[in-house]
Amino acid sequence: MIETILYSLLSNVPPTDNGTFWLPRSASTVAENIDFTFELINWICYFFFAVIVVAMVLFCIKYRRKSPNMTCDGPTHNTALELTWTIAPLLLVVVIFTVGMRGYLDLREAPEGCYEVQVTGQKWSWTFNHPEFGATQVGELTVPVGKPVRLLMTSNDVLHSVWIPDFRVKMDVIPGRYTSLWFEATKVGDYQLNCTEYCGKDHSKMLAKVHVIPVDEFDATMIKLASEYEDMSRAELPAYAINRLYNRCVSCHSLDGSSGTGPSFNGLWDRVKVGQVKFTSGEALSSLLGDATEYGEPENYIRESILNPQKHIVQGYLGSMPSFQGQLKEKQITAMIEMFKHLDELTDANGNITVNKDGTPTE
Amino acid sequence: MITTEAKHDNLSMSDNYLNHTKGIKSWLFTLDHKRIGMMYLICILLAFLLGGIFAMLIRFHLLTPDGALMTQDQYNQAFTVHGAVMVFLVIIPAVPAALGNFVLPIMLGAKDVAFPRLNLFSWWLWILGLVFFLISLGTGGVDTGWTFYTPYSIDKASSMGGVIPALIGAFVLGFSSIFTGMNFIVTIHRLRPVGMTWFRMPLFLWGTYATAIIQVLATPVIGITLLLLIVERSFGIGIFDPALGGDPVLYQHFFWFYSHPAVYIMILPAMGIVSELIAVHSHRHIFGYKFIAYSSIAIAMFGFLVWGHHMFTSGQSQLVNIIFSLITFSVSIPSAIKVFNWLATLYKGSISLNTPMLYGLSFIFIFGIGGLTGLYCATLNTDVHLHDSYFIVAHFHYVMMGSALIGFIGGIHHWWPKMTGKMYNEAWGRFACVLVFVGFNVTFFTQFMMGSRGMPRRYATYQPEFQTYHVISTIGSTIMALGFVITAIYLLHSVFKGKKAPRNPWGGRSLEWQCSSPPPWDNFAEQPEVGDCYDFSVLVWNEEEQGYDWRKDAVHPGE
Ligand code: HEC
Ligand SMILES: [Cu+2]
Ligand SMILES: [Cu+2]
Repeated sequence: MIETILYSLLSNVPPTDNGTFWLPRSASTVAENIDFTFELINWICYFFFAVIVVAMVLFCIKYRRKSPNMTCDGPTHNTALELTWTIAPLLLVVVIFTVGMRGYLDLREAPEGCYEVQVTGQKWSWTFNHPEFGATQVGELTVPVGKPVRLLMTSNDVLHSVWIPDFRVKMDVIPGRYTSLWFEATKVGDYQLNCTEYCGKDHSKMLAKVHVIPVDEFDATMIKLASEYEDMSRAELPAYAINRLYNRCVSCHSLDGSSGTGPSFNGLWDRVKVGQVKFTSGEALSSLLGDATEYGEPENYIRESILNPQKHIVQGYLGSMPSFQGQLKEKQITAMIEMFKHLDELTDANGNITVNKDGTPTE
Repeated sequence: MITTEAKHDNLSMSDNYLNHTKGIKSWLFTLDHKRIGMMYLICILLAFLLGGIFAMLIRFHLLTPDGALMTQDQYNQAFTVHGAVMVFLVIIPAVPAALGNFVLPIMLGAKDVAFPRLNLFSWWLWILGLVFFLISLGTGGVDTGWTFYTPYSIDKASSMGGVIPALIGAFVLGFSSIFTGMNFIVTIHRLRPVGMTWFRMPLFLWGTYATAIIQVLATPVIGITLLLLIVERSFGIGIFDPALGGDPVLYQHFFWFYSHPAVYIMILPAMGIVSELIAVHSHRHIFGYKFIAYSSIAIAMFGFLVWGHHMFTSGQSQLVNIIFSLITFSVSIPSAIKVFNWLATLYKGSISLNTPMLYGLSFIFIFGIGGLTGLYCATLNTDVHLHDSYFIVAHFHYVMMGSALIGFIGGIHHWWPKMTGKMYNEAWGRFACVLVFVGFNVTFFTQFMMGSRGMPRRYATYQPEFQTYHVISTIGSTIMALGFVITAIYLLHSVFKGKKAPRNPWGGRSLEWQCSSPPPWDNFAEQPEVGDCYDFSVLVWNEEEQGYDWRKDAVHPGE
């Protein structure tokens, strides 16, 4: 009741595409309700703040000191007045609480038949799995417009949090358990997704784009995404890998030779090929390569580094690389290995990527 | 009666707490609450300078979207050090330990706190805490944020090497705070002289009393939590680490069980100061004494029941969120009562817009915004959007810096003549206060806007659309810094060159204004008389002294 009355009073200011003074554009079904609550509190605050400031300024002008002597004899208390300003705010906050709570329940209660996406947070990138299509995206998430989408989220390392300001949704992403979030996008477009729980060095770069696309294009887009590498020839794989897979490694492995959390990919294949890698155990990779050894071929070492990185830790680094077991398909691992072999052709001297996914040079 | 006061004044020329004994040792091992208060004050202001330097680094780094000054790691360290120093070393001890120590016993009419040795020990613990913080900077730094959230803080591969010394530092500082709180509770219960009933106590004492209760009841929880963290990080025992079967969210419960009440450790004594400032500088009996006094206690009590509002998006159950939201709103009521009572005190007052009063009025303005924006954060659905954004950063700076710290600085100006026996330059004081007030609002109001529009907190780099806000915010912080620098200069200047302060420059009625400025070693030559500490009608302006005396014909309480 109260809500509908207040709503009709307040909702005459339609948000423009850039949003309002206070809020960004609104692009999900729950945004409307949250903006309404926000506006409601806004007006209550404007009112009380005006009362406070006007009273303060008026009194300071009217009753400013005229002589240093003691002249005042104003009232020392007034129980009726004091009870009024105790009870009136009490009633108001009960209204605000109720409006906020009801909005919150809508925000949390996912409707039936959501399209489900599995989200994994990992320092410092987001991976989105579409089980329905067997497709995986990193750093970008494609969803259909006008359909409820549910994100089932977990973390591989520390706390993260998904926040999409234009959708007004947020939920922490926690290692060792699932949390979830749902939204229904109302407008086609690209939206910013932020990590908003501090997670270390590149917290501020743990971003992703949400692409909201028309429903009739969605299936085709996903199917294409899921299988794009399957029909690729060996020659096409390196360009695919550096454009589509490397973004999962970028937070730790550079392309320009500088070492980060992990060793640079620059020159990696040349080192591995000849076994020029030392491990924290004191062993050298050279003793594990060749006939009748653990690895035999150097490619196997790279494969193991990706699937089971804790097995051998490179000297000078911590064993902080996560396993990509189950996240990369066999053919994608092959693509990564091809990428290592052809890195010179894919990057310039500063480590910038110079080819597009289809093999054409970037401008 | 008049003769007693004359005697006080003669005494003050020769013997006061500043010159009673000499030498550095007579300070470092003093048991005198006034000296301990002054040592706290000096140290806390130095720590404020340290935290402020990091704040300016952060603000200037954020002038450009890619970050102008530091690497990602350096930025993360900068905001961690800024937060930890400001919270643990500055704001929590500022009012109780520095001003409280100096003023509380005198206001009460006591010669000292109940346990002077414990009091000195608290100060030494503060120093030890500072030392551990410095060690942590030297042993790899800390980049966990002042919140030390798990599992980041227990993962040695992620967070930097200085985490353990920083945790020990916070632990030690916690005990410093607990001891101060215990001391004040016992002092207020046991050392009130005849006539000083509970409802004759100045409201500043009610504020510190409520604070002391929180310090004693809540701080042990953070102590235990920090110990658990230390043990877990050192020995890999699985309490908070999910990889070892622990629960990272449990840490947040423990942490906020203390750290939410800690917000009231910061704000309640500052509210107490503001009650004094408003009443004394408008020469007007405080309006609704009992409502203000009880609301302090109410805030302290409710404060224990609302920690979960920091965790609305942490995955805790919806029911729990709803309950925490509801209780959180209840805190807004006693806060509103205080603001309205202060305004009513101004009504028909004789308002002097001098420096302490300007700080008092700034407090009401800023706390108005800080308190009202709390409504957005307590409301469930809006908080989901605002949590961990710059809106929250702005909100807690309005409360912790704009209110608690502004109250503290107002208190420093109010009691400066009493503490140092010198008057500062009033014109510079007002000018600096205006700079701080304007600078503060420019800095943090913009942060509300960028926060609700989508700027996450603790970001070393950001989307270009937020640059305008960040630039304005940095300009504001520069103005504010200028205000603080000017304040430091004229206050220091007054110590050496300031006019001698009269016994009672403002016309205060509580007991500290009855002893000389600075107070004698043992506060009162003879037991002062206690009356209604907000009844200013017994005072009269003395032009010659530039201060207030008892009216000759005033009826003394007890007579
Ligand atoms: C969280 C940081 C992190 C991420 C993300 C990461 N790695 Fe690593 N990686 C490391 C670290 C640290 C090492 C060195 C320690 C070790 O051997 O485990 C390493 C080592 C390696 C090595 C062995 C290097 C050598 O010199 O022998 C390979 C190959 C490798 N990573 C591939 C990848 C690939 C491919 C990806 C992305 C799909 C990736 N890494 C993502 C941190 C990471
Ligand atoms: Cu993050
Ligand atoms: Cu809180």
